Amino acid sequence: MRAGFLLAVLFVAGGYTWVAFAELSYLSSAGRLGPGFFPRIIGTLLVAICLASLWLDARRAAPPESPSPFLRVTMVVASLSAALVAAMYLVGGLLAMIAFMAAALWTLNRGRPLQNALIAVLLPLALYLMFRVWLNAAMPRGLLELPF
Amino acid sequence: MEVFEHLLLGLSVAITPANLAYLFVGVVIGMIVGIVPGFGPAAGLAILLPITFGMDPAGAVIMLAAIYYGAMYGGTITSILLNTPGESATVASTFDGYPLAQQGRAGPALVMQAVASFVGGTLGVILITALAPLFSHVARSFGPPEFFLLVMMGLLTLIAMIGGNWRYGVISALIGFALGTVGVDLETGQPRFTFGSAELIGGIDFIPIAIGLFGLGELLHAFYQGLHASGTGGIVQYQKERRFWPDLRDFVETRWAVVRGSLLGFCVGVIPGAGATVASLMSYSIEKSVSRTPEKFGKGAMAGLVGPEAANNAASSGAMVPLLTLGIPGSASTAVLLAAFMLWGLTPGPLLMTQKPEFAWGLIASMYLGNIALLALNVFAIPVFVQIIKLPYRILAPAVILVCTIGTYSVNGSIVETWLMFAAGVFGFFMKRLGFSPAALVLALVLGPLAEQSLRQSLTISRGSFMIFLERPLSLWILGVTAAVLLLGVLLRIPARR
Repeated sequence: MRAGFLLAVLFVAGGYTWVAFAELSYLSSAGRLGPGFFPRIIGTLLVAICLASLWLDARRAAPPESPSPFLRVTMVVASLSAALVAAMYLVGGLLAMIAFMAAALWTLNRGRPLQNALIAVLLPLALYLMFRVWLNAAMPRGLLELPF
Repeated sequence: MEVFEHLLLGLSVAITPANLAYLFVGVVIGMIVGIVPGFGPAAGLAILLPITFGMDPAGAVIMLAAIYYGAMYGGTITSILLNTPGESATVASTFDGYPLAQQGRAGPALVMQAVASFVGGTLGVILITALAPLFSHVARSFGPPEFFLLVMMGLLTLIAMIGGNWRYGVISALIGFALGTVGVDLETGQPRFTFGSAELIGGIDFIPIAIGLFGLGELLHAFYQGLHASGTGGIVQYQKERRFWPDLRDFVETRWAVVRGSLLGFCVGVIPGAGATVASLMSYSIEKSVSRTPEKFGKGAMAGLVGPEAANNAASSGAMVPLLTLGIPGSASTAVLLAAFMLWGLTPGPLLMTQKPEFAWGLIASMYLGNIALLALNVFAIPVFVQIIKLPYRILAPAVILVCTIGTYSVNGSIVETWLMFAAGVFGFFMKRLGFSPAALVLALVLGPLAEQSLRQSLTISRGSFMIFLERPLSLWILGVTAAVLLLGVLLRIPARR
């Protein structure tokens, strides 16, 4: 998994470095150090250390780790978090929060329907009141333009 | 005398009813953040930052700072009662805290850790009061080369001290630097890595990244480790013990451990990048080595608990010195505090104490009051916090994810930034899982623009010569301290490898 992560970082770092060299000038028009100076150093170092890490890690070849028995639940929570952001954009903050809490508690806290239902409604409502009413902060209204 | 005048000015700011209320709310939230395992002060600060937007700057920063040092107190309660550190700086407190609790001395251990934390935290604030003006005065003679070296010192120290693979630490910091270069170049006005996106013109905002890495990322990692399934069944029932209060012998035997821990913690905390975790572990090693009964360490030695406790609280105070006087945070938590300062248009640095004395001294004065409030909370409100420990993680975690998401959106009302928070959360999960350092990434992201600007200015002054970093006495001094700290980091790793 680590090699895959390093390869992904290397891929993005390669693109970053290419842009730094190809599109950003080393010197400005006034002859001073330009916008490409620092990114070129950072990009080159990042690519070099990623390559070195890949090579050194491959030489040590640690035995493969078995994934955690909780990988599935981690993926479910990550997916629900992504769904929360998407739902905020579609149906607005309050409904998205209630749906997220209901789904998350239904998955994680099984066998307590009344407790889950109460938390799924009351907590988002409290957060909505705190952010929208008390703090007057922005709250997504969603594409449906609901009033809350 | 000038210091006392400043302190009185600060007290007049800190003791307004509103600021006292913010301080109290801050220390309570800090305690809660500290006792929730897998959830450190950086996460707490990042997530709660948006909540402070409606407050006045002094009140907001007083509250956020209280969360920061309050977390150091709270983390120990779980270390003693559950053998699970609430956050990394209280790991050393499990070594002797939990054995003490198992021997029926949880009450005395909890009170002694509260007293040690209070002494460490208060001594740290006294030293800030005495030394911050001096640091501020010296820092006024710093030029671009010194600031660049200080940034590098902070990052290198962090990478050297966090343990694990140093290459992954460097990669994490370089990713942070790379993210910091996105947006308009401040010297030439040329956009960099924006790819025509209007959202990226202003750069990548620090808050979604910090909330994602420390909030969502930490939670996902906690789920992966099965924290939601572990429960709190092993919690020590301290209420059933016959004696809650420590006896006089506990105080007498550990008095020098507290003093040593406090002084060591403050000195370590002042060094950018070193932090409270390093301070507490170093204090534990020192106490064990100077003890006449080292064999008791790990089996319930009170000195093994109070020394690290005093050290981590003094270190959290010490870390405020480079933040306030140089504008350089030494840890992820103080990086979030720096971001909070900047949000209210306050620029920490050499001029803060002279240009905004009511703010800087108000914050320092509030730390005295905060430590008193924390001492009282830690002694008299333990049953309340024990109830919070018992809150199931499977309910707590979705609630925190909600606050992370809504909090991120509320900063700028941007759904793009909310997606950025989510992406940072997933990235942060992999970083933690694979041994990379989210703290180094965040610190580099915050310090990246300062590092780039000071490097370019230095090389412009020297006409391209890197010798400028070796020619100035202050630069040489910073290089010397950096070398010494890195050497210490290497020496600390040698026993671990054996």
